[in-house]
Amino acid sequence: MSGSPSGRAAALPAASAAPVESVIGGRFAVDLARPLAGAGGGLPAYAALDRLSGRDGLMAVLTRPEAPPRAAALTALTPTDPGLLAPLGHGPAPGPGGRPGWFVVCPAPPGPPLWPDGTAGIRPWTEAELLAWLLRPAALALEHLRAHGLTHRAIRPGNLFRTPAGAVVLGCAWAAPPALMQPAAFEPPYVAMCLPAGRGEGSIADDVYALGVVMVALALGRMPWAGLAEEEVIRRKLEFGSFAALTQDARLPPGLTDLARAMLAEEPQQRPAPALLADPAVARTRRVAARQAHRAQRPLELPGLVAWDARMLAYGIAREPLAAARLMRKGVVDHWLRRGLEDATLAARVEELLRRRVAEGAGEDAQADRLLAMRSVALLDPLAPPCWGGVAIWPDGLGAALAGHATEADAEGGAGQTLTGLVAAEGLGAWAAAQGDADEPGPLRQQARAQRALLVRRGWVGGRARLRYELNALLACRSPALGGQLVVRAADLLPALEAAAQAKQLGPAPLDAEIVAFLAARQDARQEGELAGLADGMAPERGILEQVRVLAKLQARTHAGPLPHLAAALAGAARPALEAFRGRTRRIAKQKALEEAAGSGDLGALLAVLDDRAAREADAAELRDALAVAGRIDGQLAALAAGGAQRATAARALGQEVAAAGGIAALAVATMAALLA
Amino acid sequence: MSGQVKARGRGSGLWLGGLACGAVITLATPTAVLAGLLLAPAGLAWVLDRAPDRPTARPMLLCGLAATVQPMATLWLTGHGMETALATAADLATLAVAWAAQAAGWLLSELAPFVAGLAIEARARARGAKLRAERRRLEEEWGLPAAEPPTP
Repeated sequence: MSGSPSGRAAALPAASAAPVESVIGGRFAVDLARPLAGAGGGLPAYAALDRLSGRDGLMAVLTRPEAPPRAAALTALTPTDPGLLAPLGHGPAPGPGGRPGWFVVCPAPPGPPLWPDGTAGIRPWTEAELLAWLLRPAALALEHLRAHGLTHRAIRPGNLFRTPAGAVVLGCAWAAPPALMQPAAFEPPYVAMCLPAGRGEGSIADDVYALGVVMVALALGRMPWAGLAEEEVIRRKLEFGSFAALTQDARLPPGLTDLARAMLAEEPQQRPAPALLADPAVARTRRVAARQAHRAQRPLELPGLVAWDARMLAYGIAREPLAAARLMRKGVVDHWLRRGLEDATLAARVEELLRRRVAEGAGEDAQADRLLAMRSVALLDPLAPPCWGGVAIWPDGLGAALAGHATEADAEGGAGQTLTGLVAAEGLGAWAAAQGDADEPGPLRQQARAQRALLVRRGWVGGRARLRYELNALLACRSPALGGQLVVRAADLLPALEAAAQAKQLGPAPLDAEIVAFLAARQDARQEGELAGLADGMAPERGILEQVRVLAKLQARTHAGPLPHLAAALAGAARPALEAFRGRTRRIAKQKALEEAAGSGDLGALLAVLDDRAAREADAAELRDALAVAGRIDGQLAALAAGGAQRATAARALGQEVAAAGGIAALAVATMAALLA
Repeated sequence: MSGQVKARGRGSGLWLGGLACGAVITLATPTAVLAGLLLAPAGLAWVLDRAPDRPTARPMLLCGLAATVQPMATLWLTGHGMETALATAADLATLAVAWAAQAAGWLLSELAPFVAGLAIEARARARGAKLRAERRRLEEEWGLPAAEPPTP
């Protein structure tokens, strides 16, 4: 992490001991008693201090657990980047109430926001003010971001701040997914219609669009579409075009009209580049060849929407794909395109999609209908994002969208489930193909294939969780086994598990599906094989052995110190596994060795005790010998039991012989005595 | 086949025994009289003991013979007369010793199998106990199911 402290998992202190000051990685001190209202771009922000350099005037923005910060921006930007509240570092630290949180540290805003939240109107800015204080500094900052391959995606009046000199500074946009908190008014309609978390990094042209809306708002002195539902804002933008919808009942200064028209162009390629905006005189001369959408003579009634052109039809299909697909299958849509809109080419291409739909599934096949709707939207409006099951996202926003809707992933009809369906159907690949690269497997199609492969991968290394962590480098592990601690990197896991074990919050098996998916995403792909053995339905003894193996290797790899509490918990859970040793003497010796290894906190030693193949083989061989000996003993005992009569006969014979021998002996003695006498 | 051979052998033995007895009675009548009186219990046992090898009569006879050696030697050393034979047989002490010896022989034939049986059984029990102890050790060490060894 560039300039970031090396953070460990933020421990969960007792609620009564909630700190007033919190420290990020031993460097940035966060004063939780000094919240900075409106400074965090929609997120809570607190005054902070760099202990290393003694620099004051910083702020720490607290991220949301389900909305991870932007890893690329945190890595690429440097504190010297102009016109920005560039990040200085990030990491975990106890937040308000002692709850662990992930903070992004950046300079505090140099002044108040341009337009504090809740303010109805302000004094309209003059053209000179707009050019000098807003457009030029913002354009320079955007050009700087563009040079880094980054975007801002949080340009709105409440997140722009003025320096004492008057120039505007772009606020913090790194602590949440791109455009997460952007109102629909400040985003192009094709972005605004997406899930807030799924808007993606976008392009610098989207920032230019947002800057254009801010410029118009400041020029008019009122917030555009204040109080209007987002759905209605998007509809108006699509129906009338962004510039026309924004300025339909207002007059802009003449010098700004062309500039605003260019910045609010529907096609991103037509918006001026930031470098061009830095010189408004040149940008103003840029003419936008806006294509007016062809309007039909009669509208098409769609569920909840009346379409007058192909763009509105695409939007209607995107909102209600299954109902729209039914209409399409009935021939209503292509008939309207041919007769109402009088676009025979478009109608023919829709008919082609319908023929393909017939080949792909039965009449009421919802999956085939969703694919049909997605392809139709891509065909009718090439600027539209991928739309699947009523949900729209940009492909690079999939990760944040999955993270933002993780809790509803299992809910029927929820956005999380819809997104999972999109990945499972390789919908983004289908969208890319419908966009025009049907013949060549473009990067997006390959990406969609790889994402599906992760989703359907067997065991805990696959599935929604794996995809979520794979696509979000700074998403904290959601496992309940961590007892509320924040674990963002693989190296943070073991200390968190140790703390959970110490607090007796750890279950019998520390690793669950969430942690395994998290580890699989955070570790090198070569180490995935270690995790592949962990899955549901494993025998408990086998499962705990695999868990110890994974954790031991992680301990060795991350150079984590002794973990006595975790080792003790694992030893307790693994004790039944020693029952596999049939020999009592060996088992007792192993139990003793297990306790010694647990006491040392060395998971490798614990693994060596549990995974002793030679001992297991010796145990099995000795068991076989013991069974054979027991069998022989049983046979001998049975023979003894059955040999009573035989022994009686032998005893009788022996007795008779003894008696006879006694007689002979007596006779011999008597004879000898007689002879001697 | 072997049964027939044995029966034939027994028959010839009986015939030879009878011949010998007849010869002794004819040629040494005092000896036969003295032996017959002193060994009367053994002779009776010999007749009554129908078991093969006469396990009861044989020790009686052998013990009786041991007690008869001395009176017989006295008879032969004193002229081998009938009066001496009858006098010796009438001597209660001599008769008692001879008959007591045969009684001891009978007792020996009865007790010896019993004592031998006790010894053999004790040895079997000791071996069974040792085997059961070894099995219990294996059961405890290896968790084997406890067997119900039949008691000998």
